[in-house]
Amino acid sequence: MNMHAQPQRTLAETALIDAFGERLSLLPGDGAVMVKRDDAIEAIKHGLPTRRVESWHYTDLRRLLTSVPAFEVGAVVKALAPVLEGSAVLPVLNGVSQTKLPEVEGVTVQRLSEKLTDGSVAPGLDPYGDDDAIGALNTAFVADGYFVDIADGAELEKPVELQNLQAGGQSHVRLLARVGAGAKAIIVERQTGEGDETLVSSVSQLVVGDGAEVTWLIVQEQPDTATHLAQFKAHIGKDAKLTLFVMNAGGRLVRQEVVVRTTGEGADFKLRGINLLAGDTHTDTTMVLDHAVPHTTSTEVIRNVVTGKARGVFQGRINVHQYAQKTNAKMACNTLLLSDDGEFSTKPELEIFADDVVCGHGATVTEIDHNHLFYLMARGIDEKSARGLLVKAFVAEVIEELDDEALVEALEERLDGWFSTHG
Amino acid sequence: MPAVQETIDRVRKIDVDQYKYGFQTEIEMDKAPKGLSEDIIRFISAKKDEPDWMLEWRLGAYRRWLTLEEPTWARVHYPKIDFQDIYYYAAPKSTPGPKSLSEVDPELLKVYEKLGIPLKEQEILAGVQKPAVADEEAEIGDNVYKSGRVAVDAVFDSVSVVTTFKEELAKAGVIFCSISEAIREHPELVKKYLGSVVPTSDNFYATLNSAVFTDGSFVFVPKGVRCPMELSTYFRINEKNTGQFERTLIIAEEGAYVSYLEGCTAPQRDENQLHAAVVELIALDDAEIKYSTVQNWYPGDAEGKGGIYNFVTKRGDCRGDRSKISWTQVETGSAITWKYPSCILRGDDSSGEFYSIAVSNGYQQVDSGTKMIHLGKNTSSRIISKGIAAGFSQNTYRGQVSAHRKATNARNFTNCDSLLIGDQCGAHTVPYMEAKNATAKFEHEATTSKISEDQKFYVMQRGIPEEEAIALIVNGFVKDVIQQLPMEFAVEAQKLIGISLEGSVG
Repeated sequence: MNMHAQPQRTLAETALIDAFGERLSLLPGDGAVMVKRDDAIEAIKHGLPTRRVESWHYTDLRRLLTSVPAFEVGAVVKALAPVLEGSAVLPVLNGVSQTKLPEVEGVTVQRLSEKLTDGSVAPGLDPYGDDDAIGALNTAFVADGYFVDIADGAELEKPVELQNLQAGGQSHVRLLARVGAGAKAIIVERQTGEGDETLVSSVSQLVVGDGAEVTWLIVQEQPDTATHLAQFKAHIGKDAKLTLFVMNAGGRLVRQEVVVRTTGEGADFKLRGINLLAGDTHTDTTMVLDHAVPHTTSTEVIRNVVTGKARGVFQGRINVHQYAQKTNAKMACNTLLLSDDGEFSTKPELEIFADDVVCGHGATVTEIDHNHLFYLMARGIDEKSARGLLVKAFVAEVIEELDDEALVEALEERLDGWFSTHG
Repeated sequence: MPAVQETIDRVRKIDVDQYKYGFQTEIEMDKAPKGLSEDIIRFISAKKDEPDWMLEWRLGAYRRWLTLEEPTWARVHYPKIDFQDIYYYAAPKSTPGPKSLSEVDPELLKVYEKLGIPLKEQEILAGVQKPAVADEEAEIGDNVYKSGRVAVDAVFDSVSVVTTFKEELAKAGVIFCSISEAIREHPELVKKYLGSVVPTSDNFYATLNSAVFTDGSFVFVPKGVRCPMELSTYFRINEKNTGQFERTLIIAEEGAYVSYLEGCTAPQRDENQLHAAVVELIALDDAEIKYSTVQNWYPGDAEGKGGIYNFVTKRGDCRGDRSKISWTQVETGSAITWKYPSCILRGDDSSGEFYSIAVSNGYQQVDSGTKMIHLGKNTSSRIISKGIAAGFSQNTYRGQVSAHRKATNARNFTNCDSLLIGDQCGAHTVPYMEAKNATAKFEHEATTSKISEDQKFYVMQRGIPEEEAIALIVNGFVKDVIQQLPMEFAVEAQKLIGISLEGSVG
C-alpha cells in the first residue's frame, strides 16, 4: 500500500492490526475469503498511506487517523425513516444485517455474512490497486452487509434504501448490488449514526447490466465524531446509464472514493456531488473513472461549500484507455470558500491515451460574487439571508438537475436541514 | 499567414528522424574524469578559481545530495541514471579571453553559424554589414534574428566563451556575464542571491546542480534600469556523455526590467545525456523579468533511442511589491522533460505568468507545468499551457496553484489544452489547486481533443493539403503562447513546432 517503509507504526495502525488478531475468529468467510483477509491486513501492516502516495496527497491517512475505537457489540441503534418516502429499507445496524426485510418485486436480497461464509463474494474482495487503503481495510474486517440482486427487466416501483447506521465503535460493511439487463432502479445508500467515536468503512459494489438505468444516492450524514472511509465501485454495461449522487454533510474525517468503469459501448455515467463542510473536519471525495471501451460518455459536477475550519478535497481522474475512441468526458468542480480558516484543494486529472475524444475539466475556487450579493441586498434582503440564498442556490443547482421530482424534494429537504444547523 | 507556408516547406525538406542540429564538432575538450566525488567538486571549483565560500557551498550541497532519493512522481520512464558514469566538467580548450570575434576558435564560430547564433549581429548593429551576412542568414533560416537587439552569452558545453554587447550593457549598469565570472567579480551579489530562490536542499536535481554546476549566465539589472536589449544565452551540449549543469541567476532591482531568451540545441547522440539546470530569478519592487525559452534538444531517434534528459528547476521569486515574472517556453526537444518554471508571489500586488507550448513526438516524454505560489496580498497569476502529443509520446501538464492563508485576493486563471495526433500517444493533465483563503479566486480549465474533422474539412475544402491543414490548425492552437514570445523567437518557435510534428500526420 505504501511504497515507503514506515519507521514506526502509529497507534491507529497498531490498533487495527491488534483488532484483526482479536476479531479473526469471529469473521465469516471460507478459505478463499480468509486468504483475502490475510493479504489485506498485510497491506495495512506496511503502513497506512501518507501524502507521499499520490492518491492520498491531500488526505494523509497515517497522520489523520489518530485513533481507532474498539468494536462495540452492545450498542443499540434503530432503523430510520427513509430519505425517499415509500422506500424499502434494508438496514445494517452496528455492522449487522437484519433478517426481517421488506419484500420488493424483482429484488432478491441476501445477507452478506452468508455470501462471505460460502465464499461466493471472494473474487470481489481484492483491493483495486496498491494504494487502495479503504479496500484493504474493509476486506480485512468486513463482516456483513447486503447483496441486492435486481432481476433482468425489472422496473422497481419503489426505491431501495440501504442504511448503514452506527452508534459508536467500529464497523466494516459491504453493500453489493447487481442490476440486471434492462432493469430500472433507484437505490439510496445512507451513511449515518450517532454516539461517540466511530470508525466506519463501507464499500459498495454495483454492476449495472446492459441497458439498465440506475440512480444511486449516497447520503452521508455522520456525526462529527465519525471517521467515515467509503468506496463506491461500479461497472456500467452496454447502453446502460448510471447517475451517482453523493452528498457529504457530516463526519470528522471522511473519504468517499468513487471508482467507476465503463465496460460496454454506449455506457453513460453521471456524477453529481455536494460537499457541505463545516467545523474542524476533513472531507475528501476522490474519483477514478475509466473509460475502457469506445463510445462512452460521462459528466461530473461537484459543488463544495466550505465553512469554519473545514478542509475539503476533490480529486477526480478520468482515464481514457487507448481504444476508447469517441469518449466524451467532462468534469467540473466548483467551490465556495466562505471562511479564511477553511481550505479546499482540487486535483482534476485527465489521463488520455486515445486521440478521438473530447475531454475537459474545469475547476474554480472563489467566494460569493459581490455583484450577486449587492443585487439581493439592494432589494432589501439583509446580508446574512442574501448569502444564505446564494450559497443554497449554488448547491441546489446540482440537485435540480435530477429529473425526478421526489428525489429533488427529498434532497432539498436534507440541504435545508444542513443549512438550518450550519447556516 | 506566410509563416505557415514556410513551416510546411521546411517540414517537407526534413526527414522525421533526421535531427536538424545533429552535427558534432570536433573541438579539443578539457575535462575531469568521470564520476562524482568531493574531489571532482574541488577540481571544478579550482578550475574556476572560485573563492572558498563557493567551494563550501558546493560541498554542502553535495553532502545533502547524497542523502536524497531520485524523485519518481513524474509521469516519465527511463533507465536508472548512473551518476558515476557522467563527466561533470568539460571545457572547450581555453583560448585566452577573446576580445573580439576574430579571436574566437573558428571551429566554434562554425558551430554557432550552424546553430544560427547571430554573432554577426554585432557587426550589423555596428553598421559593418558585410554582403555575405544576408546570404548566411538566409541559409541559417531557423534562427534568424533580423530585427531587435540581442546580446548573446553563448555557452558551449560548460564554459561561456563569448559575451557580446558587454560594453553597452555596462554603460547602462547591467551586468551580463557568465556565473563563474560573477562569482569572481561580484561575489557580494552572488553570495546574496545564489540559492535564495532554489535552495541547495530544494530537490534531487537542483541539489546535484548546486554541487557541480559548471557555468551559466548571471544578469544583474540595477535599480530603475530598463535593460537596453534582449539578453540571450544559447546552451549547447557537445562532448559525449557530458552532463550539463547550468546555473542561471537573474536579478532585477527595484523598477528594473529585463527580457531574457534561452535557446537550446544539441548534437545527435546515441547515449542519453543528462541536463540538470537551475534558473533563479529575483524581482524586487516594481521590477519585471521576462524569461523565454525555446528548447530543441535531441529528442532521440525514431525508435526512441538516445535523446536528452532534461531535468530542470526554474523558479522566479517576485520578492518585491508590484513585481512581475513571466515565463514563456516552447518545448519541442529532449527525450524526457521534467520542468516546472514557477513563481513565488511573495510581494504584494505581484504577478506571475506562465505560457507554454510542449510538443512531443516519437517516444518523447514531457512532464512539465508550473507552480504559482501566492503568498502576498492581491497577487495574480495566469497559466496558459498548450500540449501537443503525436507519435508514441506522452505529454503531461502538471501544475500547482496555491493561495496561502494570508494571501488575500489571490487570483489565478489557468487554461491548459491538449491536442492529440494519432492514437498511440497520451495527453495528461494533473493540476493541483490549493486555496486557504476565502478571498482567493481560482479558475482552471482544461480540454483534450484531437483536431476536429470539421476544422480540417473546412481548411482542406479550400484546396489545402491535409498536412498543411493540420499545421495551420496547430499554429492556431498555440497562437496564445506564440504571441507572448519576443518576435525573433516566435518565428523560430513556429518553425520548430512544424518540424517536430513532421511525420506524425497521415
